[in-house]
Amino acid sequence: MKAILLTTVLMLSTSALAVDVVVHPSNNAALDKGKIEQIFLGKLKTFDGSAKVIPISQVDSNPVTEEFNTKVVGRSASQLKAYWSKLLFTGKGQPPKSMANDQEVMKLVADNPNVIGYVTSGSADGNVKVLMSF
Amino acid sequence: MKSNNAVKLLIGGALASCSFCSYADVVFNGFASLRATSADSDGGTSAFPTHKADGDISFSDESLFALQARTDLGEGLSATIQIMAEGTEDFDAEARWAYISYELSPQHTISMGRFANPSFYQSEYQNVGFTNNFGRLPRAVYAGFDFSTIEGIALDSNFTFGDYSLVTKVLYGNWDGTTFLAATQNDETFGFKDEISVRVELSKDWWTVFAGFFMVEIEGGSVDSNAILGATKSAVELAVSQGATAQQVTEYENAVIWGGKDGLYGYSGFHIDYEKFIVDFEFANYGVEDSSDGFNRAWYTAFGYRLMDKTIVTVHHEKSIQDEGDLEFLKGISHPTLFATAKALRNTLSLREFDAIGVSVRYDFHSNAAFKFQYLSGEDTRPNVQDFTVLSAGVDIVF
Repeated sequence: MKAILLTTVLMLSTSALAVDVVVHPSNNAALDKGKIEQIFLGKLKTFDGSAKVIPISQVDSNPVTEEFNTKVVGRSASQLKAYWSKLLFTGKGQPPKSMANDQEVMKLVADNPNVIGYVTSGSADGNVKVLMSF
Repeated sequence: MKSNNAVKLLIGGALASCSFCSYADVVFNGFASLRATSADSDGGTSAFPTHKADGDISFSDESLFALQARTDLGEGLSATIQIMAEGTEDFDAEARWAYISYELSPQHTISMGRFANPSFYQSEYQNVGFTNNFGRLPRAVYAGFDFSTIEGIALDSNFTFGDYSLVTKVLYGNWDGTTFLAATQNDETFGFKDEISVRVELSKDWWTVFAGFFMVEIEGGSVDSNAILGATKSAVELAVSQGATAQQVTEYENAVIWGGKDGLYGYSGFHIDYEKFIVDFEFANYGVEDSSDGFNRAWYTAFGYRLMDKTIVTVHHEKSIQDEGDLEFLKGISHPTLFATAKALRNTLSLREFDAIGVSVRYDFHSNAAFKFQYLSGEDTRPNVQDFTVLSAGVDIVF
């Protein structure tokens, strides 16, 4: 019984700490972790050389944001703020818009093939496609 | 005056545009630094112009507020204005930047108006303290030049090649204004005409290498008439009394003035951010060719280490020297008194060399705010400065 409980807790913990990168179901772009990182740092601007990519983030207070920043972008919230400040205050880029929760991200992704976002692992619905999980 | 008119024109243009697109959102962002600074020197004069060398704590010497407003006008067009209030200017707000940008493609954006002059690697965001780990960017390179803004046109581009990212900037513009000259203890006018600036930045994962330069034609202004020709007027009169001809005086004037000469500014360096270790190096070389202005060489090296997640300790060394030995500009001067005068003038204008070692601690107590402390100790060749120290502590925020 204890073993089952422990396993369940561990599974829940693992699930809570995982993050899914989601795109529009029609999006067939082949992206690896490096490309996703480049997109969320404003370095890679298109999915396939033509369609402009629109990365969407979530607010800092959401645990999934810290997971995504750590696992995919490799930077803390402060490091990302410093990075984007360099671009923002020189007119070279705007940080991704931050949504309040997974649902808002999925709505934007479902409505626009150019959007890419991330949600808590397992929360993606049928209107979006999970591109990669971390 | 030109600058103010340009800003008014841009603001007016942006507002006029907005009257046709009232749906456009205006996004406000900003940054601020609130810092207490105490500077001291054996010679009684501060090593850096913005500090008072009385050992007292100042809350205004290095504090500033800035607010940026950007409106997206649609179809890739946007207008941006950045207003900054510095403690050294009694927090009087000034529109430092005002420009319109048009996104030609996802990779290329063209901007026109007044914006930062990318003199060195971090010049464009040198006032945003949150972006760096120093208590103060090394003054050897980031000396606080008056020509930190420029009016013109710029093309920003970015490319990716696999895991590599390449960012470039090409700029054309002009600047006129004043600069404080220690030689005259006054603000003197001069200008940049036809500046052409190029910068390149290549990065991959944890490393970045960068290089850039700009070249301008100098407009001498009162730097020539007061600081150079005015200051040596009596010496020239002495030479004339000793038999110097008008031709020889012209030779002298042509040799020492800055006006009409080429100003060259270049820099290169690298940045490494690998796990807990951060290493920075930047070298800059700049001056006015064939003039009484000796070329400056300045550089800094910094080693940072992340303690836990939110604290970075950085130790750095910075050095600035001027090439007094390059006397090629004297070769056209045939009269010995004028020759000696020009040589003395070079020494006077090249009087400043310094090197310093600093320790900075950055603590990110909030995702938008960092507490910073820095202790800097150095030596300046000016007799009225000599050994100096600067102690500062404060908060940098972005919002």
